[in-house]
Amino acid sequence: MNSRLMQIIQGPVVSEKSTNAGEVGQYVFRVLPDADKAEIKAAIEKLFEVRVQQVRTLNQQGKNKRFGRQFGRRNHWKKAYVSLAEGESIDMGEGEQV
Amino acid sequence: MQVSVEATGNLERKMTIQVPSERIDTEVDNRLKSLAKRVKLDGFRPGKVPMKVVRQRYGSGVYQEVLSEVLQESYREAVQQEGLEPAGNPSIEPTSLEGGDAIEFTASFQVFPEIEVADFSGAEIERPVAEVGDEDIDRVIDSLREQNKEWAEVKRKAKKGDRITLDFVGSIDGEEFDGGKAEDFQVEVGAGRLIEDFEKQLKGVKAGEDPTIDVTFPEDYPAENLKGKTAQFALTIKQVEGPKLPEVDEEFAKKFGIEDGSVEKLRADVRSNMERELNQALKGKVKSQVMELIIERHGFDLPDALVKSEINRLREEAEKRFGGAQQSQPLPDSLFEEEAQRRVRLGLALRAIIDQKGFEVDADRVERDLEEMASTYEDPEEVKNYYRSNPQAKSNLESLVLEDQVVDWVVEQGKVTEKKTSFQDVMNPNKESTE
Repeated sequence: MNSRLMQIIQGPVVSEKSTNAGEVGQYVFRVLPDADKAEIKAAIEKLFEVRVQQVRTLNQQGKNKRFGRQFGRRNHWKKAYVSLAEGESIDMGEGEQV
Repeated sequence: MQVSVEATGNLERKMTIQVPSERIDTEVDNRLKSLAKRVKLDGFRPGKVPMKVVRQRYGSGVYQEVLSEVLQESYREAVQQEGLEPAGNPSIEPTSLEGGDAIEFTASFQVFPEIEVADFSGAEIERPVAEVGDEDIDRVIDSLREQNKEWAEVKRKAKKGDRITLDFVGSIDGEEFDGGKAEDFQVEVGAGRLIEDFEKQLKGVKAGEDPTIDVTFPEDYPAENLKGKTAQFALTIKQVEGPKLPEVDEEFAKKFGIEDGSVEKLRADVRSNMERELNQALKGKVKSQVMELIIERHGFDLPDALVKSEINRLREEAEKRFGGAQQSQPLPDSLFEEEAQRRVRLGLALRAIIDQKGFEVDADRVERDLEEMASTYEDPEEVKNYYRSNPQAKSNLESLVLEDQVVDWVVEQGKVTEKKTSFQDVMNPNKESTE
């Protein structure tokens, strides 16, 4: 059970929208498609040692891709918007590096 | 920017430089800003990447870049500010780069030595004086005749200087060996082109004879199977010719490009050529003495960096001279060190003399030298044009002239003793007689 908790969070989502979300204390992650909100909350709290206020998720449909005459579809994936409790923050390596 | 200089040796300087970190930070920010407009990142529209992300991605790279630039730049500024003249590149060592209000680093380097131009009064210089005499011209003409000699068949016995045409078959213990056979072979007796024993026995033969001679190969003969052995050569003497030196007459003169065939003119031509060579040799002798003097009388410390680079240059030259054979390992420094030190010392001293005594290239003199040099070529105008249009060739020539001016200056101060010598002694110091 514990090892699943470590696998749920697949990585941060870096985009214009996620950067903007960061401004209001929301962090965006790519998570396992079958993870539920409770699991995600537990995983985030464990990994980053912060208190999570709420988790909103959505299923992102994989894009249709074509290579020549071959049609294919990328995997669907789940995206999670995690809002932290007041005063908490996650260091996404955006700090001053110099 | 704060700079402090510390002398750690005669020439060694250690400079501690402080640069406010602000200077770096603002520069980094500027660059990141311009970078943000250009970078393409997944998840962002071009040009819409937030500074935060750009900094995270590229910050440290840009910082390193700016840092090294600022180090170089502030080093240069510091050098200028302190009025130093570094010889060679500095070794820059950061002492504190991270954080704080300022970054600090030290640059160690060597400076050019302060050179005091030595006093040359009383320096003893020997100036050889020589003239081209009639007998010197005779000798040159003789060697010209020698080069143009003709052969005439003679019936007498062969003697030294004759040319013999012969067939020979050599054998050892009755067996012929490789390379021991030739037909219509021409040999000049006494020219030393064949093994000595062979040539010796050719003296006294006559055309039409077919003697058999024993020849002992010398111990140091290169062919392994022959050295030290005695071979029999069966000779067939076909022709004996005696040398005939051409008379010095009109025809002879014409051969050397004197159109009206005047022998007098040929002699004058030869004389002017010889005189020019002689003058150059005499000048060279004085010059090398003066250069030696300059080296001797200037005892300053040499910057290592300059000596090192001179060593490298000499090494390269040497390697080129040895036919570019790939050395498994480079020639050792020690081989060139002394010569390199001499050269660097001479170069620095010359420069100091030129600077301090205010020498300037004498344009008239350059022109004169060029004229003289060009006159030895077939097409003087072309040579002159080459030098005038090629800046590098020109500056080479100018620096030569400048050197000559320094030489003159030293000679003026020194005590010159004239020494009479002869053309032969100057041109062929190692040979007693003519070639």
